Amino acid sequence: MTLAQLTAAASRLALVGLAKNTGKTVTLNALLAELAAAREPVGVTSVGRDGEKHDVIDFRIEKPLVRLAAGDLVATTDGLLAASGVPHELLERTGLRTPLGEVLLARLRGEGTIEIAGPSAAADTRVVADAMLSHGARRVVIDGAIDRRAASSPEIADGLVMSTGAILAEEIEDVVSHTADAVELVRVPGLDAGTPEERRVADLIAADARASFMVDQDLAVHPLPPRFALTAEQPAIDGLLREGPAARWLVIGGAVPEAFLEKLIPSLRRTRTALKVLAQDPTRFFLATHGPEFYARAGVELLVAHPIDLRALTVNPVAPQSHEFDSARLRALLAEKIRGVPIFDVLHPSYAVAPPMMARRGAVGR
Amino acid sequence: MPREVDLHAVRPYADHLGDGLVQMSFTLPVPYSLAARKAAMELAAKMGFEEPEVVHYEELTEGYTYFVMYGRCVQSVDFASLQGEGFDIEYMSEDEIERFAEHNLGRSIVVVGASTGSDTHSVGIDAMLNLKGYHGHHGLEGYHAFETYNLGSQVPNSVLLSKAIEVGADAILVSQTVTQQNLHVQNLTELVEMVEAEGRRSQLILACGGPRVSNELAKELGYDAGFSKGTYPHHLASFIVRELAARLTGDRVPAGG
Repeated sequence: MTLAQLTAAASRLALVGLAKNTGKTVTLNALLAELAAAREPVGVTSVGRDGEKHDVIDFRIEKPLVRLAAGDLVATTDGLLAASGVPHELLERTGLRTPLGEVLLARLRGEGTIEIAGPSAAADTRVVADAMLSHGARRVVIDGAIDRRAASSPEIADGLVMSTGAILAEEIEDVVSHTADAVELVRVPGLDAGTPEERRVADLIAADARASFMVDQDLAVHPLPPRFALTAEQPAIDGLLREGPAARWLVIGGAVPEAFLEKLIPSLRRTRTALKVLAQDPTRFFLATHGPEFYARAGVELLVAHPIDLRALTVNPVAPQSHEFDSARLRALLAEKIRGVPIFDVLHPSYAVAPPMMARRGAVGR
Repeated sequence: MPREVDLHAVRPYADHLGDGLVQMSFTLPVPYSLAARKAAMELAAKMGFEEPEVVHYEELTEGYTYFVMYGRCVQSVDFASLQGEGFDIEYMSEDEIERFAEHNLGRSIVVVGASTGSDTHSVGIDAMLNLKGYHGHHGLEGYHAFETYNLGSQVPNSVLLSKAIEVGADAILVSQTVTQQNLHVQNLTELVEMVEAEGRRSQLILACGGPRVSNELAKELGYDAGFSKGTYPHHLASFIVRELAARLTGDRVPAGG
């Protein structure tokens, strides 16, 4: 299976890299080449920038250009569109402003490389993705940026491809465990509606997606104070969990910072109970130190109302200006820990199609 | 008749167009001597300068020599390919900003700022927000148009965002020293992602500032603008009032032609 085939069901596909230089742009180019070969017009937008010549922080790192075919659509700024020199037809001025200029929608009249910088905000990304679909794109790729996950929310995209690589750590085992944590976070399971308790919670979030509340063992609902998950201190959290009937669910309508999850643990240890914490989707959890498994062991089970459909994981075994792993070994180790997700190195001969234009293995920055 | 500038190959200018002459100054940790002068010449040659020349050198303190040099730069940049990137914001004076805000917004603009995460430097945020300001330009606190909250340094993103929601902020200003370590970058993106997770992205203008922050970096991180060295409070204020006015009118321009 190729990336194009695997992701065919997602008319809006998000690409997210776990760090810089994990090969996200190479993945994008592989997908674009497959779609070009199938003569399927694709629309591309980026929540950051993609196709720039040099890394914005480390100027020494050269980046791959984004190559599009005639008939493809782009959402990018007026300046970048002009600088590309690629002939195009202007479809729409979006009025959406970025630090690099206003975002335009255009259809390319010839093939070429182009730097892509679409709107930054997730909701605006959905607007331009839908606009490109209505202008004739068969599907849209939403290119992410470092640590930017909001556009992979099911509110915005129908599917996700993640990129990881040697750059994450110097030891291959650490690359595997960091990647497994990130995949686990993206795949936080959705809410089943099997038990009466689950049906009650499902009804409540269907009525108000932004509400934050606690559901106790008697299924009574207790609204949380405003911005509780963002700022609640330990005594307030202990009070919530220790007073009255035992808390079974915490439903958070916004962001769930790691500090909040950590503060749940002491009370749960003391009462030896388990608690389900439910957010709208996996992009609402902000975990930097531990993965979901750690919290599950501590009695905090993470759930979401809307899960993310992770279609594939791509791997760059090369860390620019540093180290390199054997591609097959890295993929094998990842596959042992991460079940049910196809894992590719799109530049490796084992990949179904190896687009000849990207055969730049070993060049710094992929 | 002055020669026309070739915008595809721009070089430094001193006596005539394209001469590439550069003046530079630096200090070497070597004693003031003829050998020191030779070292400076060699260094300039290694930097790629042609015809390097030491025009002045003196002892800075014992064991250190200060140099002023000329050299001819043979490199050029394609300026034409760079044009059009980013907004050329027209900066307004403080009076113009006050009038613009009164006319177009008619209410106070609420700005919450902080240095976030482990960053202990509050100089940047203080310069932008506090009455005292910087280089004789007072900060946003001194404007009628702005209501400001400076939370100081080492503020967690969740606390900054919570305050912004609590006071109904129009803009969040973050100051951060971005280094090649990814830590600071992650801290900046985390705020953007939390704002998204709280469903507040369209209501909040997000601006970041710091010594290495550019518009390119701001775009990559998901901010609406990035400010670097040389920014005065009225630059930031110009951006905020214009952006807020544009958002409130919800301008969407149809394609021309």
